Amino acid sequence: MSEQEKLQALEEPAEKAADVPQRTAALPETEANWPAPNTARAAAFAIAGWLVPGLGHAFLRMWGRAVICFMTVGLLCFAGAKMRGNIFASDSTDPFATLGFMADLGAGAFYPLSKIVETHGPDVSHADGDYGTRLLATAGVLNLLFALHAYEAARGRKA
Amino acid sequence: MHLSHLQVMLLFAGIISLAFGFLSRRRVKDQLKSALWSFVLFLVVGVAIAWLIYPFSR
Repeated sequence: MSEQEKLQALEEPAEKAADVPQRTAALPETEANWPAPNTARAAAFAIAGWLVPGLGHAFLRMWGRAVICFMTVGLLCFAGAKMRGNIFASDSTDPFATLGFMADLGAGAFYPLSKIVETHGPDVSHADGDYGTRLLATAGVLNLLFALHAYEAARGRKA
Repeated sequence: MHLSHLQVMLLFAGIISLAFGFLSRRRVKDQLKSALWSFVLFLVVGVAIAWLIYPFSR
């Protein structure tokens, strides 16, 4: 390779780098607006997303995902409470009940709201109540997954 | 609220498919496609497992 060719090869990356601002401008708005990775900020978004399903994604301006998160977790909690599923409490010595409480608590604000919706108390003697218990636990775990996604997206690792 | 087993399965599959579809993809078209595919798989696998368990339930 001649000296001129070597120089050209060295210059090419610089020329390509000049295109980066234009490429960034062509990206979807959500990616262009991402802040620099910040662990504390990402953790705050995750906690907000746990407390109010979808809020973490809303802070990141991922509006579609924020709405989907809120609706799916809310619908699961509502259906579970209406089917008279068991909403576990913190004062339990049974390890499975404790695990169930941790899963239910994952739904954040929907946990106390589910208790308000379930006016007649749980009824796990029927299949409906059993399904309701599972739906409530799923809502909590799903919200935790959404909160984790918000954390990863705030750190720039997920889209 | 009383739902049949099939209705609960449809409700659960629909909600979870929607959540996973919108979480895992970027473009709306891909999200909807992924959610729909996930929903179909939920139903197919659910019914298949039900038939596999059926001989042992008797």
